[in-house]
Amino acid sequence: MIFIDLVVCLLAIVSAVWAIIARNLVSAVVLAGVVSLAVSYLFLRLAAPDVAMTEAAIGAGLSTVIFLIAVRRTEEEEKR
Amino acid sequence: MIKQLVGLLAVLAVAALFVALLPLMAPTELGPVTRHYVEQGLVENRGANLVTSIVVNYRGFDTLGEVTVLFLSVSGAGFVLRRREGLVPEPQRRSSELVQTASRVLFAPIVLFGAYIFVHGHLTPGGGFQGGAVIASAVLLLLLADRDRLLPHGFLSVIESFSGFGYVVTGFVGLAATGSFLANRGVIDLGTWNRLFSAGVIPVIYVLIGLKVGSELATLLDTMMHADQAGEGHR
Amino acid sequence: MEIRELVGALVTLGGAAFLFLGALGIVRMPDLYNRMQAGTKATTLGNILTLAGLAIYEPAWLPKLLLVVLFVLMTNPVSSHALARAAHRGRVPLSDISVEDALAEAYGETAEPAKEARP
Repeated sequence: MIFIDLVVCLLAIVSAVWAIIARNLVSAVVLAGVVSLAVSYLFLRLAAPDVAMTEAAIGAGLSTVIFLIAVRRTEEEEKR
Repeated sequence: MIKQLVGLLAVLAVAALFVALLPLMAPTELGPVTRHYVEQGLVENRGANLVTSIVVNYRGFDTLGEVTVLFLSVSGAGFVLRRREGLVPEPQRRSSELVQTASRVLFAPIVLFGAYIFVHGHLTPGGGFQGGAVIASAVLLLLLADRDRLLPHGFLSVIESFSGFGYVVTGFVGLAATGSFLANRGVIDLGTWNRLFSAGVIPVIYVLIGLKVGSELATLLDTMMHADQAGEGHR
Repeated sequence: MEIRELVGALVTLGGAAFLFLGALGIVRMPDLYNRMQAGTKATTLGNILTLAGLAIYEPAWLPKLLLVVLFVLMTNPVSSHALARAAHRGRVPLSDISVEDALAEAYGETAEPAKEARP
């Protein structure tokens, strides 16, 4: 069990770093969603199911989608 | 390249800070307020979920502020995005019939599940915010499957205003009945522990929060989806 | 160890085997569409078998597990359908050994543009 926890921790850290250095905005947004999902598992393992549900529903679900919509709306103006 | 380096340095700095602060996180004695919550929370509120009775009752005033912040951010987004005109909507093919039908079939069960989450907020993990987010995701499914669909903004704002109003009214009822804002004991019968109708005003408030958060997030999604269609999403 | 628990565990193991085959297909299949069908059909069946095994193991959970199975049956195929169509629309190339592109023909296009990689 602790092995899975460590793998998920590593997943969260790697995705966070990758989201910072990613050149593509869509990849960065999706990676931030992965961070949220991993962190929500960690919250669940730390006996905080309420926080885990909030993180999974809002962090991984809605805010990812809102960022994606925002990226699609703005990419006409900002070419990287 | 510099941006990546700065990002990596920032992550390393936060990691070092975390390691430095780790010894401070050892479990310590509970403070007097915390101990009261832990020991008396189940007795005073009779909610099976202690987190809910802290969030909605003991810290109910802070939650009211939190809901207000959400309301302000959503109305700010609507205010900023509604004047965005002149962008040509990209030509897009419609979603396939399978996706549209499935989204309509799935909409009701997902909304029902969200309602289940916030109705049972005082018994099981979850509550108004989580249930509201689930309902908003059902609305998102509809909007993604059919881009031309416009939500009934009038209906949503009526739900949103009434639930916010109901939250404040519940607080004032507590103030009138027992002398403290959002009081729980002495307002509604507390009922039996671990039943659906228990814990006094906590489920009432959480249902109101769920409706408010769901309608706000649905409005936000609709505003963002239709932002560049020359204000068509705003009536 | 009751015989019921043994049967439940075996069915769950079967589900896990299908999930493993799905993962293997995602790694080994030649292009996105083939990977997607491995990742959809195998995981749908694997999920259902796992949940069915759980229902045999713990019959009291049957109603909730039935709801979960219904939800998986409704969402998993539809979401991969939407993803595959989006990929096709985004001109993700077919593999070299593919011989037919029925969706492109249904759109009235030739199969060729989808086959060449986008620059």
